[in-house]
Amino acid sequence: MAMTNKELHGTEEHEHEPVRIRGLPFFPHFLLREVVVMCLVAGSLILLASVYPAGLLKPADPFDTPSPIYPEWYFLYVFGFLKFWTYNIGPIEAKIIGVTVPMVLWYGLLILVPFIDRNPSTDIRKRKIAVVLGIIALLGILYFTYYSIVYH
Amino acid sequence: MTLSKTIYKWLDDRFKLRELLPPIVKHPAPEYAVSNPLYCLGGTAFLCFLILATTGIFLAMYYKPTPAEAYKSVERIMLEVPMGSLIRSVHHWAANTMIAAVMLHMIRVYFMGAYKRPRELNWVVGVFLFLTTTTFGFSGYLLPWDQLAYWATKIGTGIAGSIPVMGQYISLILIGGNDLGAETLTRFYAIHVLILPAAIITLLLLHFLMVRIQGISGRL
Repeated sequence: MAMTNKELHGTEEHEHEPVRIRGLPFFPHFLLREVVVMCLVAGSLILLASVYPAGLLKPADPFDTPSPIYPEWYFLYVFGFLKFWTYNIGPIEAKIIGVTVPMVLWYGLLILVPFIDRNPSTDIRKRKIAVVLGIIALLGILYFTYYSIVYH
Repeated sequence: MTLSKTIYKWLDDRFKLRELLPPIVKHPAPEYAVSNPLYCLGGTAFLCFLILATTGIFLAMYYKPTPAEAYKSVERIMLEVPMGSLIRSVHHWAANTMIAAVMLHMIRVYFMGAYKRPRELNWVVGVFLFLTTTTFGFSGYLLPWDQLAYWATKIGTGIAGSIPVMGQYISLILIGGNDLGAETLTRFYAIHVLILPAAIITLLLLHFLMVRIQGISGRL
């Protein structure tokens, strides 16, 4: 808290300077906070690494399929969706949809977000559709991640 | 003191530091960005990247990307190399933390509407950074050449291979043959330590340059 007060003084001192936006100088105020956070993150990583070292299983054996095999946690939702989607749409096979939707369509949609959402407001209360869609997308990813673990 | 002043003066005479430094050093960061911890997520991801680059260089000194040697070299890093286990574990945790931080950073930017005009392009670069980060994870997963690495990659390349039209090419480029083997391992290694670092550094420069030019987006 003391740091915040000090930073506020910093603003007053620099107010007379010709700046584009009101704020605190990058050095030292912004950098100080960054360094504090960096120390915390680096410390946590070393702690995690010491308590839970990276694993190493048996050497790869192409003739012995282990079970269950999990991919990295951030790809689980792709596997979940692939398992979840078992419906053919017309001539398109279920498997093709199961692969294309979470990989191609989803990333394509992410790239296009600023071009789809033309609402200029950044006020969260005036962006109800975007917020609801965002929450649905998040819940969807969480659900398919859960699905991939439970229905392995 | 006098030594640092002498060095500063020497550099100042040549590079006009007096004119160059203030815009960088005194560049204002908005108050809300300094006081709100949600604005730390991007910086956390970047710090993880720096840690990954450093630990990755050390790992590359001992790692051998062939099916016969890969597993043994990782085992040697874990058991024999001084601090090897710590370096590899920090690499492992920094990788997972980086992906989590990038995801949370994206969620923050989405719900604050920070991608809106004039920052559309920076969001697009950000999505490519996210893709690059997950591809880093995917390619790094195979390198220890243990059971998990082998079979997760087998399934992963299988899924990428069934994407319509591009799939078979992606699969051929990644695997370098019909089945996972020596070709795949060297390819994944090259992707992980040469192609992706070059890509992510370029994208990060663009990302930061745009933030610098356009400033940090406003309130929630």
